[in-house]
Amino acid sequence: MSLVLTFRMGQFEAEFPTDRCYARNHMWAQRRGDVVRFGFTAYAVRLLQDVYFLDWTVEPPVELQPRQEIGSIESKKAESALFAPLGGVLTAFNEQLLDDPSAINLDQYGAGWLFEIRGSDDSLLTPQQYLEHLANVWPVAQKTIKGQLNEP
Amino acid sequence: MTQRCTVVLSRGQTVHPDRQELEQQLALHLAGDPRCEVLVVPHLYDLNAHGPSLTALREIPGDLVVLAWLYPRATRWILDRQGIRGQVGRTGIDDEDLPAEPARPSGAANDTPADSGASSRRIYCLDLRRDQTPEPYVDTIRQILADAGPAASAEAASTGEARTLDESVKRRWYPVIDYSRCTNCLECIDFCLFGVYGVDEADKVLVELPDHCRKGCPACSRVCPEHAIVFPQHKSPAIAGGMLEPGDLKLDLSNLFGAADDLLGAHDVAARERDEHLLIAGQRPAGPVVPPPPPPPARPADKKDELDDLIDQLEAMDL
Repeated sequence: MSLVLTFRMGQFEAEFPTDRCYARNHMWAQRRGDVVRFGFTAYAVRLLQDVYFLDWTVEPPVELQPRQEIGSIESKKAESALFAPLGGVLTAFNEQLLDDPSAINLDQYGAGWLFEIRGSDDSLLTPQQYLEHLANVWPVAQKTIKGQLNEP
Repeated sequence: MTQRCTVVLSRGQTVHPDRQELEQQLALHLAGDPRCEVLVVPHLYDLNAHGPSLTALREIPGDLVVLAWLYPRATRWILDRQGIRGQVGRTGIDDEDLPAEPARPSGAANDTPADSGASSRRIYCLDLRRDQTPEPYVDTIRQILADAGPAASAEAASTGEARTLDESVKRRWYPVIDYSRCTNCLECIDFCLFGVYGVDEADKVLVELPDHCRKGCPACSRVCPEHAIVFPQHKSPAIAGGMLEPGDLKLDLSNLFGAADDLLGAHDVAARERDEHLLIAGQRPAGPVVPPPPPPPARPADKKDELDDLIDQLEAMDL
């Protein structure tokens, strides 16, 4: 990883390598042959914190619609449904994560990859565009979190 | 003298270190109590119908205290489905989620024809997600044991160790019917296009083919007019058998991670979910659902017809 961009979340500085693209739902995307590999960005991992449980509700190979619900995740701080970042054919999940999801925290841009999709990556964002997206959604995320925690 | 109480500890599905620690602490605290036996089983929802855990559970005649990572209502009806039944044990915790009266026996046994539960024994269900330390659970269980009275002395010898039953389980996904709410309207049979539901000889709805259910699909639960269908593993408490508001337990980040901002009604969401799962199964989408018409208003009790008048007159007549 040569160049990284950073985004400040409170005290935490999230890093985003520039050797890949990004999806609006906080996943990175890297083309590998005819598939695109996805994983959580540092932004997503910071919000989740320690991941305890990852579960997929589809079986590859399967045709996905963009934003289709494909699974769920539970972490120390949160739970969330997970959605397809783009349409296409989901070809593989990272099987290693099902027994032990800790790579998501330890190496989110490498061994912690989530799945691969065969499809067009035209809708993905450049690192710079993703940072602009973060600047827009971070205030909303903070509000959502505070609202759910009943904090003023 | 009563039969000894069994404390059943249903383990979590995850490698969550805090959860595993709580399970171990609870087994340790409770196994030393001579008034109860402690049985540790894999996650209740995933158990095989004819595996050693459910077989052992069905053979227990006395009161049960069941600790599980599930809402009490989900625990109760998972057990019911397996023919493990009893009176609702009230703990003062989460009781508002349970039926007001002793659970109506479901009659239709699902995975098993045996009904071992037509007894007066009690089943207490506790949700392990409520407290992170063992003490509140141990206190509640000691109170239950104290209220139950002295155990028969012949059975009172405790080994001081929890009995652990191991069986290989895989994560399952299927609906569990809360028969205290189900009115047998059969909306679920009409709606589900995967053949999960069926009826027994008495035309009572049951989950006939649980493993035909599409993993992650909770759509039938949304169309059930009585909210009688529980998916214990769904992230929304209302579907998983709880009454808590989402977010009471953990943050739900689904909106941040790409959930559609839908302001759709339950039937629209159900139809979309069903279509997604039909597509995955290689079938054609079935499209929108027409919500059932509201039930006709009950005939007011005081509205009399000619026959009522006639009967009234009969009574007044000196025959």
